[in-house]
Amino acid sequence: MPLFGKKDRKKATRLYFATDLHGSERTYRKFINAGKFYDVDILVMGGDITGKLLIPIIKEKNDHYRATLQGRVEEITTQKELEDLIARLGTLGFYHKVMDEAEFQALSADENAVNELFHEVSRQRLSSWVDLAEERLAGTGKKCYVTGGNDDAPEVLTAIKREGTHSFFACEGEVVQVDDDHTMISVGFSTPTPWKTPREITDEKLGEMIEEMVAKVPNLSHTIFNFHDPPVDSSLDTCPMLDWDKDPPEPIIQGGQTVMYGAGSKSVRNAIEKYKPMLGLHGHIHESQSVAKIGRTTCVNPGSEYGEGILRGCLVTFVDGQVEGYQMTSG
Amino acid sequence: MAEMATPKPEVFTRKASGLVRVMSPYSAFVYNILTMGLIFPWTYLWAPGSLPGGQLVWGIILAMVIEIPIAFVYVWLSTALPRSGGDYVFQSRVFGGGVAFTVVMSGFVIWILQWVALSGWLVSYLGFAPLFLGLGATMHVASLSTLGLWFTSATGIIVVSILNALIALILLTSGFKNYVRFQHVIFWGTLLCFATVFVVLFATPASEFVARLNAFSVASGGVANFYQTAMDAVTKAGINVHPPFSLLATLLVAPIAWTSLQWATYSAEQNGEIKDARSFRSQTFIMVGSLIATGLLLALLALGIQKVAGSEFLYVAGAGYWSGISAANINGFNLWPPILAVALTASPIVVLIIGLGYLLNGFQIVCNCYIGMTRVLVAMSLDRLLPDWFSKVNEKYHTPVNAHLGYFLASIPVIVGYSLVTQPFTWVSLTLGVTFGCGYVFIITCLAGALLPYRAKEVYEASPGAKYTVSGIVGVLFTLLGAASFIALTWVLSPQAFASSVVLDWLVRLASIVAVIVFLYPMRKHLLEWLNGKPMPWLSALGMLGGGLGMAMVVAFLLSPALGVLGNWNFADFPKNLLAQIIAIAIIVISAVWYIAAKARQKSKGINVEYAFKEIPPE
Repeated sequence: MPLFGKKDRKKATRLYFATDLHGSERTYRKFINAGKFYDVDILVMGGDITGKLLIPIIKEKNDHYRATLQGRVEEITTQKELEDLIARLGTLGFYHKVMDEAEFQALSADENAVNELFHEVSRQRLSSWVDLAEERLAGTGKKCYVTGGNDDAPEVLTAIKREGTHSFFACEGEVVQVDDDHTMISVGFSTPTPWKTPREITDEKLGEMIEEMVAKVPNLSHTIFNFHDPPVDSSLDTCPMLDWDKDPPEPIIQGGQTVMYGAGSKSVRNAIEKYKPMLGLHGHIHESQSVAKIGRTTCVNPGSEYGEGILRGCLVTFVDGQVEGYQMTSG
Repeated sequence: MAEMATPKPEVFTRKASGLVRVMSPYSAFVYNILTMGLIFPWTYLWAPGSLPGGQLVWGIILAMVIEIPIAFVYVWLSTALPRSGGDYVFQSRVFGGGVAFTVVMSGFVIWILQWVALSGWLVSYLGFAPLFLGLGATMHVASLSTLGLWFTSATGIIVVSILNALIALILLTSGFKNYVRFQHVIFWGTLLCFATVFVVLFATPASEFVARLNAFSVASGGVANFYQTAMDAVTKAGINVHPPFSLLATLLVAPIAWTSLQWATYSAEQNGEIKDARSFRSQTFIMVGSLIATGLLLALLALGIQKVAGSEFLYVAGAGYWSGISAANINGFNLWPPILAVALTASPIVVLIIGLGYLLNGFQIVCNCYIGMTRVLVAMSLDRLLPDWFSKVNEKYHTPVNAHLGYFLASIPVIVGYSLVTQPFTWVSLTLGVTFGCGYVFIITCLAGALLPYRAKEVYEASPGAKYTVSGIVGVLFTLLGAASFIALTWVLSPQAFASSVVLDWLVRLASIVAVIVFLYPMRKHLLEWLNGKPMPWLSALGMLGGGLGMAMVVAFLLSPALGVLGNWNFADFPKNLLAQIIAIAIIVISAVWYIAAKARQKSKGINVEYAFKEIPPE
């Protein structure tokens, strides 16, 4: 070390985090390109990566097609229109399947078949996403870590757990070494929601799951908590309170206004307060884009606008167990 | 690709969590009406006072018609980008962060501080004052009238304004739910007030107007034969109360009425919370519907005043306001529509309803200022252009307390200046500067809409409005109409504004042409295609039309002395007589410099603020 002059400074690590992409093809492609665009070392995708809607493109007898999009039936008469529609569906995060009328009617009458179809198209898309990441990140040295969320069925998440990858890694339940000094642990489950999604557990159970992960971490001050569920009452989790007895759930109105509350997890908050990690990466509540400091921990929820093809995210720079800076992005 | 309505959606869905939008289209419709201010008074005294020969009703209708294409552009943009943040989001997508920050910070955040002050003035001068003045007159209690007059004094207005802003601060930071609960009271109170004013104006026989006004004057401590005294004083001052029709004056009434009607699109700031925000039908109802409803009601109100008081009295009342002829005021009080309605009724209950209605709507304005601007401050802070302090959200109340507090503190000097600064110009006369400031925000958004299909192609093509196109020829005609309106009004008004300098006059005229060319030049390829019949996106066509018409309105504020202090270009005793213009320009320059400085500061920390707005290529 020189006697006079600056102390050699470690190079900071740059991380880009986005979450709740819900199957949006365009948003995912932007996410992968974000590595080069923002010049980051690590890409982290939070949970809820599978889509919610499957649009049947129904072939009619006159070789035209029809599809319902945003409440309107669109009549497709040319191949170009069909390709454009499929591209739009990808942007919106919707799956599609071309089928004839008989197949559509049969599916409509069979809930299990629809579920199986959802799983099939979700796996196909996730599998193609792994391929895309491997192809585009090859040779760049950038790593992409992906976890599931409460919306992602376990049988679908198998598609991202692939052996022998060089750039794309399913990180849930693992302690990941993101650089020489820092680790990351990931939990994609959430506390119960009124939608009764595939991966919900009680807050207590979530706490136990976090404790199991924490026990594997050597230095908690240099770690990242990548937990899909945000800490309760942190401003990362503000959303309308919903009536769980309605299907779909509806906001609760009191005195003529919607009741807002913090829908996050107590266990996540307790863990952050107790273990004081360097950084908390959260999602789940799309409308609650925010940054909060809980003790020394910088917690972020970049929110989500996948439906508009917009990639919301957060760039974080850190070194020696300290967050040097963060920046919300809207790409 | 054709489309048709469907009885049952042919889609498969699965249970999944996600964003819940809480504001119904009806609530957003109401919000816009309240923001436009059904019972705001500007047009009724300002226009007759400064624009003799202008037709009030037609000017209001014209403002409404001009705003329609602008409102439609917001409908398109809102369905393409249904996100909270409105103008800041739309502009940053198309023009980048530098333009968006400078325009929104200067035109909205800073200029709207004047509206915080104005809100206090409305509550004090048009709420409490007529309430107590009217109660004093109808119940014959002199102390109430004296109290009413205190609310018109500088001290009264400053005290009420600061309390008004403070109550809004406490209400909004205590939780948004408390405000929304109170908003219902505001809405119904305002509607009741407006309906009452209507009934009074339309039900009072014109033959009784003079007698009732005189009686009110006496009861309020004014002269006995007020009507004739006022008429004589105004006539003696050389004001023609029967001016001939003037087309230019009628056209210039529109920018004043636009002060209210330009807010038809304010719900766009909260798009992220509106149900069905991607639906064309909902957004059209919310923005265009509220615009037409408010425009027609404002025109009806003008008709009602003309019916009961007569056109010549409007010039008398206008002279009391614009020319400062004290004899045309009752006890120093300008004869705004609610004062007229109070004067025409002998019922304390009616006085109470009108007074409370103005109090409530005045209070709504300060709440709107806080709600809209604190969201913008938080967004700018998250984009690292303002200190982190602004975006801290209170964990208990889930509200950005710091942003509210900062905006409240910033408004206090403006509140004080609003009532106390009279030299070298009256601060109050900057009020229509807000229409100028906010006007250029709306217009730049409108122009952003015109360019969205080309500058943010993916966003546009994924939007439900992408399928609506118009013949390229029609679109080019819209473009020409918008550009011609802007250039023509500049050419008409510039000689008036720069009568003492032919060089400046011609520079401004030529600048209007250059501005149009600079804007359209990058579109030259598309213009040729449209002329050759290629369909043009409706959004672009309406954006060009609305942008041009809106630019004409904005330029009117800069070049017409009749529209307030910004149009008075008096170079004598420089800079004393041009302070208002210097302030307006300085606000823009300071905002731009702030952006550059914030960008440089963040860059030194390894943060590129442009990343907040730049779209990542998907391929």
